[in-house]
Amino acid sequence: MAYPSQLGLQDATSPIMEELMNFHDHTLMIVFLISSLVLYVITLMLTTKLTHTSTMDAQEVETIWTILPAVILILIALPSLRILYMMDEINNPVLTVKTMGHQWYWSYEYTDYEDLWFDSYMIPTTDLKPGELRLLEVDNRVVLPMELPIRMLISSEDVLHSWAVPSLGLKTDAIKGRLNQATISSNRPGLFYGQCSEICGSNHSFMPIVLELVNLKYFENWSVSMV
Amino acid sequence: MLATRALSLIGRRAISTSVCVRAHGSVVKSEDYALPMYMDRRDYPLPDVAHVKLLSASQKALKEKEKADWSSLSRDEKVQLYRIQFNESFAEMNRSTNEWKTVVGLAMFFIGFTALVLIWEKSYVYGPIPHTFDRDWVAMQTKRMLDMKANPIQGFSAKWDYDKNEWKK
Repeated sequence: MAYPSQLGLQDATSPIMEELMNFHDHTLMIVFLISSLVLYVITLMLTTKLTHTSTMDAQEVETIWTILPAVILILIALPSLRILYMMDEINNPVLTVKTMGHQWYWSYEYTDYEDLWFDSYMIPTTDLKPGELRLLEVDNRVVLPMELPIRMLISSEDVLHSWAVPSLGLKTDAIKGRLNQATISSNRPGLFYGQCSEICGSNHSFMPIVLELVNLKYFENWSVSMV
Repeated sequence: MLATRALSLIGRRAISTSVCVRAHGSVVKSEDYALPMYMDRRDYPLPDVAHVKLLSASQKALKEKEKADWSSLSRDEKVQLYRIQFNESFAEMNRSTNEWKTVVGLAMFFIGFTALVLIWEKSYVYGPIPHTFDRDWVAMQTKRMLDMKANPIQGFSAKWDYDKNEWKK
């Protein structure tokens, strides 16, 4: 989850998110280098007493500053596509969970073995237990087994929503009439928070997602108790 | 220069002719066909026309004296001739101003005024902040975040020493 004075991304909870963090470092470094170079050149341009008024050509530098950006773009595109395809690798999920976006809550269906489904509403600020997180807690969390690949199928019953959990590197649009698939694979247990990421009406900011990643035994006990 | 390279031999002579014409103070046809005008510009050191168009009698006499040997001109006469030809010297036209002080001062003033507006808003417009910002609540919340090991790798819980039960130094 997000923490005070956070500057960067949340700590990675899945291997894909670790890849995304590295990619982000790589691309941001390129962006910082280009921006500082441009800022330096602008400063030079604005603080010189020299003038040059006749037109001139500059074939050599024009060639360089055409080829070099193309090379930089390739250096960004290659890792990006690598991660994109890595996300779609076959990973044989052990469990399939369906989530439907509604105005303004999420509903979850675990229908592989039993008919388990429930709604997940945000807890209003006035009803929070001491120490809970405002606008992030829900009444029914999405309990899942850790260290196992899980397929999430995401759709919507009304308008566009988006099911996002930043620490797992997940953000998938919930579109009525369409099934989108994402894969969850968590390295560690814990609570992982996310929020709806597609504007969907007045309470768009008040329909969070909370994943509770636990060991398999606990997950089995929980799903039995919920049915 | 590109102009002399681009044009032919006739063009080359036209450019050097125009330099001679400028030196003798008569009007010059500029390369971009704009009307000839005077300007004090660092990047256009020899303007199309002289600064003073209509010469007084003494100035006319001085221009006649200029046609003879220049070593006979006194320092003041040379300066007077310069001032006929040019409005500001390079040192004068390039001088810095105090404009930046005015700009920075006004900017700070308006930022300060905005601060006053925000203070008034906090007093008279906004309602109370949620109770989850109370010190006790934040303490319980922080404890819960550490218990659930939120961001344990580099972020939040990574800075907490679980053995000594305190923030890492």
